[in-house]
Amino acid sequence: MAPVDIAIVGWSQSSLVSAAPVSEPHLCLQTVTAAIAHSGVGLREIGFTCSGSCDYLSGGPFVFVANLEAAGAWPPISESHVEMDGAWALYEAWVRLQEGDIDTALVFGSGKSSPSDRAQLYPQQMDPYYLAPLGADPDSLAAIQARALIDSGKATERDFAEVVQRSLRNAKSNPNVVQSGDFDIDALLAAGYVNSPLRPHDLPPVTDGAAAVVLATADRARQLTDRPVWIRGIDHRIEPHYPGVRDLTSSPSAALAARKAGIGDGAVDIAEISAVYSPQEIILREALGLGDSVAVNPSGGALAANPVMATGLIRIIEAARRVADGSARRVLAHAAGGQCLQQNLVCIMEAE
Amino acid sequence: MTDATGAEPVQVMEHLVSLTYREPLPPSTVRFGEALIAGRILGQKCPQCGRVFMPPKDFCPLDVIMLGPEHDVEVADRGLVTGFTIITPVRYYGQTKTEPFIYASVLLDGADSTLGGQDITGLPVEQLRMGMRVQAVWKAQADRDWEGMTTRGWGSVGGSIESFTPTGEPDVPREQFLEHII
Repeated sequence: MAPVDIAIVGWSQSSLVSAAPVSEPHLCLQTVTAAIAHSGVGLREIGFTCSGSCDYLSGGPFVFVANLEAAGAWPPISESHVEMDGAWALYEAWVRLQEGDIDTALVFGSGKSSPSDRAQLYPQQMDPYYLAPLGADPDSLAAIQARALIDSGKATERDFAEVVQRSLRNAKSNPNVVQSGDFDIDALLAAGYVNSPLRPHDLPPVTDGAAAVVLATADRARQLTDRPVWIRGIDHRIEPHYPGVRDLTSSPSAALAARKAGIGDGAVDIAEISAVYSPQEIILREALGLGDSVAVNPSGGALAANPVMATGLIRIIEAARRVADGSARRVLAHAAGGQCLQQNLVCIMEAE
Repeated sequence: MTDATGAEPVQVMEHLVSLTYREPLPPSTVRFGEALIAGRILGQKCPQCGRVFMPPKDFCPLDVIMLGPEHDVEVADRGLVTGFTIITPVRYYGQTKTEPFIYASVLLDGADSTLGGQDITGLPVEQLRMGMRVQAVWKAQADRDWEGMTTRGWGSVGGSIESFTPTGEPDVPREQFLEHII
């Protein structure tokens, strides 16, 4: 059975900053309210709500329940939560809309990375026997991935710096980023390593933020807007948890997700991808089959702002808004979860 | 079983985890804390639904609108017990209590949300009742602090209020606080 057509009809991002002065529920409320207003759907009309956040990041058990206050959950609403980037919440909402009994859904993702230290926090996500006691932190694992990429001959440290240079240059046209600017490759390469072969610029900036999206079924979407952004395909795939059993220089799960989402059905104009560490862009370009004609991360991507748990949903928003404003016709958005691109989601969107 | 060196294989490994979070208190929690130390309990009144949330959150979760300091209102330091649990402590790491103690929810006069986890003192635990009128036992001014005031939840009164104690007023009938019973 072919999936029901679903469109993105509204969205919003909070300010993406290195340390937000307000609480996470507050960030969610501002963002959800703005996305609802953008969509033209009434908050009480929303058929299903799904959010994505991480209790470890927020710093308490069931902290995600407080974020639900942003969705006006009284009288009771139908809702769900994923301990994943908001892009996966969008996937769940897309699946829920396939049932056909409701016509709108609200999705949001949020995270504040500023209160904690990622080197201390993220090893707790890893398996508790072999990886957590090692202190397997994301920067170290990304460095192992980058080293594997260099050793395979697929990329050099200069290639990493070029990803950074282009991302931060693109970010100059995006007011909602933590960092942007023009950087000289040789100057970037003159910096010392943080985790060899990664330099500070290869790592994402610590970022707090939230994002929200409103989805609608076809008839409802056409009532709401002249320019619905149609989700043509969406799929996510996962690889083993242990980095040691994977070829870290490729991303078969991203490639498979892209194929299932319909990447082969037509060329995309732009791709917004969650390459949180610069070497990952090189891996993802190959896995997603993105040629030189595709503008990758015109927003600046995750190297310009990385609000963990919203980064992937923001890729969907950044791609969708370019369809809505007519500057692109067919676009790809990618979200990632876990370490070293363990989990990948691909969403392909089109204009009418 | 031993290895070539004669050492016993590792069977148990301790892995102690400690995570630290540093986050500024939300502005609403700062106002709540400052008022508490001054001996006042702040709530926040939503102009749309009229409900008073205590502590303030700077938004109404029912109407989903932002609120600000202009919506702060003072609520009374007395109210009624809407529900409670008597906890008989068992010994575990970090448990400091040895005698049965109370976790009560208190609905302060003028507030629409209850204060959870409050100790009720000044009576034998078996005499505690739902609907019982209680009032705050404030710490001495010099002893008040920001204890328990974190970004998890919206603020605790524990740094300034020792416990609640019966006022001696007649109990409030259950029908009058039904919607506040969990």
